[in-house]
Amino acid sequence: MSKIRYESVMTADRNLNPTEHEEYDSPYTIPNDRYAALTTVLHDVGGEPDFPQALYTKSEEEWEMNTYVTCECLGWRGAWNSEMRRRLENDLGKTQYYGFPYYGRWITGAARVLVDKGLITTDELGDKIDEIRARLEKK
Amino acid sequence: MGKQHGDHHDGHNTFEVSSKVSEFEILELAIRELAIEKGIFSADDHRKFAEWAEAKGPHGGSKLVAKAWSDPAFKQRLLENGVEACKEVGIDWLQPTGVGTPSDYTYFYVLENTPQVHNVLVCTLCSCYPRPVLGMSPDWYRTPSYRRRMVRRPREVLAEFGLHLPSDIEVRVHDSNQKSRFMVMPMRPEGTEGWSEEQLARIVTRDTMIGVALPRADRTSDAGSLAEQVR
Amino acid sequence: MATPKFQVGDKVRIKDRTTLFHTRTQKYIRKRVGTVVEHRPEWVIPEDEAWDRMETGRKEPFYVIRFKQTDLWPDYTGFAQDTLESEASESWLESVKG
Repeated sequence: MSKIRYESVMTADRNLNPTEHEEYDSPYTIPNDRYAALTTVLHDVGGEPDFPQALYTKSEEEWEMNTYVTCECLGWRGAWNSEMRRRLENDLGKTQYYGFPYYGRWITGAARVLVDKGLITTDELGDKIDEIRARLEKK
Repeated sequence: MGKQHGDHHDGHNTFEVSSKVSEFEILELAIRELAIEKGIFSADDHRKFAEWAEAKGPHGGSKLVAKAWSDPAFKQRLLENGVEACKEVGIDWLQPTGVGTPSDYTYFYVLENTPQVHNVLVCTLCSCYPRPVLGMSPDWYRTPSYRRRMVRRPREVLAEFGLHLPSDIEVRVHDSNQKSRFMVMPMRPEGTEGWSEEQLARIVTRDTMIGVALPRADRTSDAGSLAEQVR
Repeated sequence: MATPKFQVGDKVRIKDRTTLFHTRTQKYIRKRVGTVVEHRPEWVIPEDEAWDRMETGRKEPFYVIRFKQTDLWPDYTGFAQDTLESEASESWLESVKG
């Protein structure tokens, strides 16, 4: 990653940070009710207050269908099971869970499980990503 | 922004150039290629699963409902053992792997709407959906908004789909939170007397089998719902 | 196959156990009382499955529990007869007398 790209990524990242820095920038201590709120399991949203919203229907994009199939093949061949995938979505944390599209959560979980289980290394993954990005951008 | 590739003295430029290709597309390809290189699964596995998934859609469920409307004995079998009855219309829950899909499992229950009870599906914890009979779930079904609200405000959400249910009907929400997969069997509407199974199947749309719409003799697509019109 | 502890028609309360990281028992059904309406097969519990113990995981009978919506939500805006069904493994349930 070039320095320029790093800087633009950091700018984007800073804009995602919670703005209440004093409260959420690794406080020395927190009250138990905040601990409870922060450890509520992320995907358990049933009944949370929300407003009506436009309900879109669109067909899967190519990467979305491929993500679904890749994740299912990983399950089929024993690299993980679907409950691990759902758990790994929670492990993303709130910012990525709500910031990513649905299948973005899937494929990030897949990357995570392959690394966690030692099936791939992070440098292999990073190098492969760079190789594919270069390949696709040349097209 | 809008500068040419290679103009790297502008700190914003490279990010823009990179975004031409979706990072998720890149990540998926990376995972797939690494998995194939390491022998975790084969390119053939991927092709086989993709073919299965692309052939799936709500038509499987429509066929089940149309047959159940036409054949009371089949309807009984379908309600008693969903997975077995599916085989009669060519749906095998063990496909495409021989042991079922990792995410859908092999426990399928059909929920019959009656004049007293209206069933509707949601999965608040993720978005479990009966892919072997209905294909891929619609986008709105996966939204946090639908997941949050359907369990707590079912009648309001149904009204947003254009479905206003009478006050004497029991609305029964099914929060699909474990290994069971569900499909709603709507009631056969008026004006369909003497119709063939093929004719009937055409009005059994995806939304009627999720439970956010009712079939009508004059409607063969979900595009008429209020929610769709918002788009 | 263990004999299921609860029968169809039994009243049960969903326990409110501490769950860090992941759960399949929604917070909105916890501490709520519902009625067993169907049995499900014995499945590996999600507490094991979510951490890659599919083969060696603990199995339990599962149940379909039906709740009255007015028992789940004090501010429920629908009608008294409206219900909600969800599933739970046996260790999440406790008997309710009466």
